[in-house]
Amino acid sequence: MDRRSALKNLAIVVGGTVLLPRCTSHNPVAHFTSFDVTYDQQSLVHDMADTIIPKTDTPGATDLEVDKFIWLMLDDCTKKDDQKAFFKGMDEFTDLVKKTYSKSFSDLSKQEKLTLLNTFEKKPGSKPDAKPANNYSKELSGFFSTVKGLTVFGYTESKYFLTKVDVYELVPGRYNAMLPVKNNMKA
Amino acid sequence: MANLNVDSAKERTYDAIVIGSGMSGGWAAKELTDKGLKVLMLERGRDVKHIKDYPTTNMYPWEFKHRGEMPEKVQEENPVINRCYAFHEDAAHFFVKDAEHPYVQTKPFDWIRGYQVGGKSLMWARQTQRWSDFDFQGPARDGFAVDWPIRYADIAPWYSHVEKFAGISGNKDGLDTLPDGEFLPAFPLNVVETAFSKHLKDHYKGRHVISARCAHLSKPNQIHLDQGRVQCQERTLCQRGCPFGGYFSANASTIPWALKSGKLTLRPFSVVESVIYDDTKGKATGVRIIDTNTKQTEEYYARIIFVNAAAINTNLILLNSTSKRFPNGFGNDSGVLGKYVAFHNYSAHINAEVEGYEEWATDGRNPAGGGYIPRFRNVYKQETNFLRGYAAGFYAYRGFKHTWEGIGEDFKAGLAKKEYGSWRVGSHMMGETIPKESNFVKLDPTLKDPWGIPQLQISVDYDDNDEKMKKDYVDQMTEMFTSAGFKNIHASTNHQAPGLDIHEMGGARMGNDPKASILNKWNQVHSAQNVFVTDGASMTSTSCQNPSLTYMAFTARAVDHAVSEMSKGNI
Repeated sequence: MDRRSALKNLAIVVGGTVLLPRCTSHNPVAHFTSFDVTYDQQSLVHDMADTIIPKTDTPGATDLEVDKFIWLMLDDCTKKDDQKAFFKGMDEFTDLVKKTYSKSFSDLSKQEKLTLLNTFEKKPGSKPDAKPANNYSKELSGFFSTVKGLTVFGYTESKYFLTKVDVYELVPGRYNAMLPVKNNMKA
Repeated sequence: MANLNVDSAKERTYDAIVIGSGMSGGWAAKELTDKGLKVLMLERGRDVKHIKDYPTTNMYPWEFKHRGEMPEKVQEENPVINRCYAFHEDAAHFFVKDAEHPYVQTKPFDWIRGYQVGGKSLMWARQTQRWSDFDFQGPARDGFAVDWPIRYADIAPWYSHVEKFAGISGNKDGLDTLPDGEFLPAFPLNVVETAFSKHLKDHYKGRHVISARCAHLSKPNQIHLDQGRVQCQERTLCQRGCPFGGYFSANASTIPWALKSGKLTLRPFSVVESVIYDDTKGKATGVRIIDTNTKQTEEYYARIIFVNAAAINTNLILLNSTSKRFPNGFGNDSGVLGKYVAFHNYSAHINAEVEGYEEWATDGRNPAGGGYIPRFRNVYKQETNFLRGYAAGFYAYRGFKHTWEGIGEDFKAGLAKKEYGSWRVGSHMMGETIPKESNFVKLDPTLKDPWGIPQLQISVDYDDNDEKMKKDYVDQMTEMFTSAGFKNIHASTNHQAPGLDIHEMGGARMGNDPKASILNKWNQVHSAQNVFVTDGASMTSTSCQNPSLTYMAFTARAVDHAVSEMSKGNI
C-alpha cells in the first residue's frame, strides 16, 4: 500500500472532499480535485480566517466553517493559474512568518497574527487609491487578499449571517421606493 | 397495413402546429386553442412544468454550493453562455451549454438559448415597452431595410389584448415615443430616480425617466388569478421560475391556459428538421421532426403552421426546409431569407455617485429594475451623424456602508453595520441597429448538429453607425449626469459580441413586396400562406424597445387572421 492510499484510508470523507483528522501528528494531506493540501496549510488558512473575522460574542469565520468554503472555492471556482499563484503566495507567506518570528503562523499570539496580517492592509484613513506600505510580491499580496475575500464572502453569505445579522428575505412581498432614514440609519 | 398508415397519419394530424413553446409560441397555442383549434406544440427541449420544475426557486443563498458562482470548469467549457448575465448557479439549468448545439461563428456571436418548454420566457428580463410609429415608420423615413407593412394603429389593439392577459405594470406617461398601454400599477421610482426625472423634464426637451414597464403582476386582475397566478412578491429571483407566477412566462401563463382547454398536445424532445411543402397541393402540409430520445424521424400534419422557434432557429428551420418549389429555403423566392439580421447595441454603461438625499432609502426589491429613458435621439427629425437612437435603463440605489479595510474585531463589527452609504446611479444603453444584407445567417455546407441538421453560420457585426451611437450615448449621459450634479461619473464601453443582448431579430422579415421580404403584413409567408412566422425572425427593423411584447402582439394578431382565413377557406 502506498502512502497516498494509506492516508486515504485514514480520511473522513466530507462532501466529496477528503479531510484528515486534525490530530494526526505528521503532515497529512487533504485531496481536492485540483490540488492536495497539507495539514499545515489547512491550519494556516483556518487561523488566517479566524484572525480576519474572529469569534467574539458572535461566531467567527471558522465557527461557520468558512475555511472549508475557502478550499472549496479555490478548488472549484478558481482558474488553474490563480490556484498556482495562490500556493506560491502561500509559500512566501510561510517563509515570511518564519523569517519574522521563527515559528509558524499558528503558533503566533493573537496580537502577532493581527500585526502580521495588518502589514497587508492600507494605513487606516488613507486615500482610496493608496497602497499598503510593504514590498510584498504580487503572489504574496494576492494570497492574503484571496483568503480575506473568500473569508468575507463565505461569512456574509452564511446562514448565520443572513438569518441573524443581515436578514435575507426570500419573499419580501414589498417594494418601498421611499423609506425614511435618519442619521443614515433606518428611521 | 395501408389502413394502419392512414390511421397513423390521422392521429398525427392537427388543425395547427406551433413550432416552439416560448414567448411567442405560447401565445400562438393560447390564441389558437381559445378559438377552438386542435393544436400540436413542438418543443425541442424538455418539459418544464410551472412550479414543479423550478428546483432552485425557494433556495436561500447559502444553500447554493458555491453561493451562486459557476465552477471554473463549467465556465471554461462554456465561454458563450458564461457571458450571459443570468448564467449562475441558480438558473444555469435553464440555459443551453455551448457544446449542446454547435454553430459556426463566422463573426463572434453569443447565441444565448433556453431549450425547454417556456424557452427564454422563463429567464427573460421582463421589460415590456410598446413600439410606436417612430419605429414602424423608421425604415421608410430613414431609408434602410424595407418599409414595415403595418403601422402602429394595426398593432395597437393587439398590444392591449396581450397586455391585459400577461399583466404589464406601468404608468400612463403620455409620451409619443412610448405609447401607453393597459397597465397594472407601476413600480414607483425612488427619490433619486424621481429627482433625475424632474431634472430632465426641467432642462431637456423630450427626455424622460419613467418607471420601467414590466411584465409583473403588481396588482393582479381576475384574468390573472384565473391563470393560477398571484401578486408579484418582489423576490427578483425571476430567472429561477416564479412559484407565484408573479411575472409573465409561457410556463405560468399561456401554456397552462392552452392545456386547460384540452385542445393542446405538447410534445417536448422534438427538434424540427423542416416544414414539409407539398408541391402538388401547393402548400405546407406539416412538419418533420427528430425525436431527441429515440433519434427517429416523424411527421405531423396540420392546415396551418406557426413557426416560433426563436429568431435564429426559425431561420435555421426555414433555410433547411427545401423542396422543388423552394430550393433555397422555405418561402425564399426573394433570396432575403437569413439576411438583414439585426440586434440591440448594449455595449455602453455609465455610473456615478450622488450627494445628498440622505433622508431616504428604499426597502424591499424593485422587480422593474428602476427607471427607463425612452429614445430621444432623431425622433422627430434626423439630428445627429448616425441613424436612429437608443433607450436607456436608469436606476439609483443605496446600500449599507461597509469598509473593506482592516481585519479583526472592528472589521467584523463593520460587516454587521447597517449605516447607509451614499446613493449611486447607473445606466445602460439599448441601441437600435440597422438591418443589413451583410448581417446574415446561412446553412453550413458540411457541418451538422447532433441531429443531422446543418449547423448555422452566423455572420453578424456592429457597424460605424453603432459606434457613433455608442459615443453619443456616453456623451449625452455624461452631460446629463454632470448637469444633474452627479459625482465621479464613470462611463465604460465594451465590444461585447452581438447576441449577448438576446434581442437578435430578422432574417424572415415582413414587407409589402414579396421580392424583398419573406412575410406579408399578417406574418404569413408570401408564397405559402398557411405558414406564419411571429417571433423575432419576422422583424423588419429592431426599434430600441425590448421586443417580446411586440412578438406577443404580432402572434395574437396573426392567429386571429389565420383562423379568419381558414373559416373563409382561403388557407
